[in-house]
Amino acid sequence: MEVTRSGQVDLEKSMGNVMSASFAPECTELKKKYDDCFNEWYSEKFLKGKSIENECSEQWYSYTACVDAHLVKQGIKPALDEARKEAPFEEGGAVKEKD
Amino acid sequence: MVLWHKNAHIFNNDFDTVSLAFFNRYPNPYASHVLSIDTLSRELDTEGKLHTTRLIKKAGRLPRWSKPFLGRISESWIIEFSVVDPRQLSMRTYTRNLDHTKIIQVEEYTTYRQTERKIRSTSCLSQVKFSSGFNVGIRSKIEDWSRSRFDENIKKSRLGMAFVMQELEKSNTII
Repeated sequence: MEVTRSGQVDLEKSMGNVMSASFAPECTELKKKYDDCFNEWYSEKFLKGKSIENECSEQWYSYTACVDAHLVKQGIKPALDEARKEAPFEEGGAVKEKD
Repeated sequence: MVLWHKNAHIFNNDFDTVSLAFFNRYPNPYASHVLSIDTLSRELDTEGKLHTTRLIKKAGRLPRWSKPFLGRISESWIIEFSVVDPRQLSMRTYTRNLDHTKIIQVEEYTTYRQTERKIRSTSCLSQVKFSSGFNVGIRSKIEDWSRSRFDENIKKSRLGMAFVMQELEKSNTII
């Protein structure tokens, strides 16, 4: 399966040009650049076993810098920081037990 | 109190398509209440599995019985963890709400798996756990609500995934 830039455009068109948004509107454009890079890497390299490292670091750093800067202002930040310490697949892994 | 709901589904698509659709599932016409989705971290572990943490923001759609406790809530935040094993053709995902957790916590565990390499078919098993700190009085309301909420949401999430996959495959055939 191939996903190219034009594939992404088609997906957006069919949904009325609704872009996958960031919670911070300022980061949406950077998010799109990162997502496009990730989708291509994921389909063409990662799933095919051709890459052992994520190759979108340039887009990633710009995008996460933006997200981190805006996340600080959100009330959800403390609850989020706590939740990020969880390892849901190791403990209480319901699906794991019943597989 | 804790309640579990389960659902199994088969997508007639290969794992590559299903897992890519999972990462691109918003926006879609069946999830108009989803406002945003952001990737917070993404790492490859030593076994070659891909770990992703994302943050989702949804427009508030809390049940009517929660109003006396919460008033009007306009939005809620969800955390999502996922692990993709490209060799086993499997993916595990977990989501839960980050706020209003004392009223209700909704946790979803889903496993996607392509059983045979040559067959375009991926199973999807979801288990959802509803927990609430409230035991007396409104238990039956929570039970009814969680059941209907689960049925409705699972249907929409399958439709949304199918829609995104259709679009991905459509763009693929054009190329």
